[in-house]
Amino acid sequence: MTKKQPLFEAREIVAGYDKRIIIDGIDITIPSHKISVIIGANACGKSTLLKTLARLIKPVSGKVVIDGKKITSMPSKQLAQVLGLLPQAPVVPEGITVWDLVSRGRYPYQSFLKSMDKTDFEAIEEALEIMGITELANRSVDELSGGQRQRVWIAMALAQQTDILLLDEPTTYLDITYQVEILDLLTDLNRRRGTTIVMVLHDINLSARYADYIFALRKGKLIAQGAPSEIITSELIDTVFGLDCTVIQDPVSYSPFIVPRGRYHVHS
Amino acid sequence: MIQTTHTMIQQGYMKRKNRLISVTIMLMALTICLCATMLLYGKTNYDVHTVIRVLSGEQIQGASFTIATLRLPRMLCGLLAGLAFGIAGNTFQTMLRNPLASPDIIGISSGSSIAAVFCILVLNMSGSGVSIAAVISGILVAALIYVLSKGSGFSGGRLILIGIGIQAMINALISYLLAKAAQYDVSKALRWLSGSLNGMRMENVPALCIVVVIFGMTILCLTKQLQILELGDDFATTLGIKIHVIRILLILSSVCLIAFATPVTGPIAFVAFLAGPIASRLVGPGAPTVLSAGLVGALLVLGADLMGQFVFSTRFPVGVVTGILGAPYMLFLLIVINRRGQA
Repeated sequence: MTKKQPLFEAREIVAGYDKRIIIDGIDITIPSHKISVIIGANACGKSTLLKTLARLIKPVSGKVVIDGKKITSMPSKQLAQVLGLLPQAPVVPEGITVWDLVSRGRYPYQSFLKSMDKTDFEAIEEALEIMGITELANRSVDELSGGQRQRVWIAMALAQQTDILLLDEPTTYLDITYQVEILDLLTDLNRRRGTTIVMVLHDINLSARYADYIFALRKGKLIAQGAPSEIITSELIDTVFGLDCTVIQDPVSYSPFIVPRGRYHVHS
Repeated sequence: MIQTTHTMIQQGYMKRKNRLISVTIMLMALTICLCATMLLYGKTNYDVHTVIRVLSGEQIQGASFTIATLRLPRMLCGLLAGLAFGIAGNTFQTMLRNPLASPDIIGISSGSSIAAVFCILVLNMSGSGVSIAAVISGILVAALIYVLSKGSGFSGGRLILIGIGIQAMINALISYLLAKAAQYDVSKALRWLSGSLNGMRMENVPALCIVVVIFGMTILCLTKQLQILELGDDFATTLGIKIHVIRILLILSSVCLIAFATPVTGPIAFVAFLAGPIASRLVGPGAPTVLSAGLVGALLVLGADLMGQFVFSTRFPVGVVTGILGAPYMLFLLIVINRRGQA
């Protein structure tokens, strides 16, 4: 089911809001078919980087390119078939059903004369199935729990059938059970379809477990990148977050696991 | 098991689609019924045969004047203005994701209205000049509200509050102009404050008709984009919509609808505000509401005008009746929104 993946990269991008520069000269190549996670302290520019990659913010200088083409010069619907994003706080239209909401992810494949056809229906059903919400299809999104709702939004992004999916803190405001569930589902997606996933996550330990590749940001600069087991060290965590910690091995996944040292309850 | 969920999804989809289609057809049928009633019913009742003969151009003593000169323009203006207000109101409400964001609440209708009042009462203008002034003034007021609400980042809630303030200011100015122009009677004054279909003339119809067709169709063609914009700017961009272009097209089309209809009938109170929410209840959540909102707008105007003419012992202009219907809903909405803590 794996398709040929486009090469997705950002070249020396400088971006921000109004005149305030938030990310200052970042150069990255997103690993294809992999799950990448952007980590960093609050206000380090990780969301801004993700938004720039998703063309929500136009960079002041530099460019985001897919297969050598600048995304800002690609036809918007064509780009929307390759690059998808789940924003942080999407708006649910009042009373809308799960199916109707997910079906809006098919917009890039429709035109003025062409409305929904068999391919669209299949894509929607597949998205619902991957997210395990087929049973909820005719329910109103308003009635669902936070975790279910998030699965609906991801299903909508899946129905868009993009090769690359960006997610801005997909686990925020969710209970730990749902956080793990969402990350498992995204891993399913990555393994089944080979979708390249790039997301911003707050939890370093979950990032280290689920990411194939990590980008660490500090004050708008990329300061480290690589596989979690290679780059997550107590020195890096100290530089990125200003946190004193010990790194041990996660007993479940054998990935790096950070244990913070505060001012209290510290033996040794 | 999988087969049954598949059928369940299909059935749900067909059910919603059928509901949309049947509700739209019913609204169209009802609109036609009310249009017919407007022509048939009145001080003198005519039969269908007479009305058809008059409409096909035959001269009939008495009937020709009543039907072709009085009732037909009244019906057509009501129908077209209702469509215009309904579509424009619904577009604003959907785009700004707030039922309070209707042009007759946030000052755009008043913006058109004041230019019309000024041109007619102070400059003694009439005809297309008035419409052009109303369009320009409507767009300017819309732009002013937009700029004022932009501040350090656009917010729909602020736009609505600023709009309500501007609306109050403009309505005060309209009242002032009306008070100065003493030779105009109360019923004329009411038209500019709440709208009326009294004294409609056939020459108002063609221009309004063209505007409703062009801009109504534009918005109808942008239905899908409007539904995506409803998900928020970020999603809309991601799904491949050029949000700035689409938004400006939608705003301009809506403002033109309002600004051309307002000099003809006055800002018929609450029609733009009520049509969208009613339509969306009828067609069901998530379904496109552009066409049904237009039809509900027309039904509101025609229905309210019939009520105003024949139900009470005194004749009331249409805007008074729609005002009585709309005000409680607005209060209800304010209370509900306040409780949910979103402006």
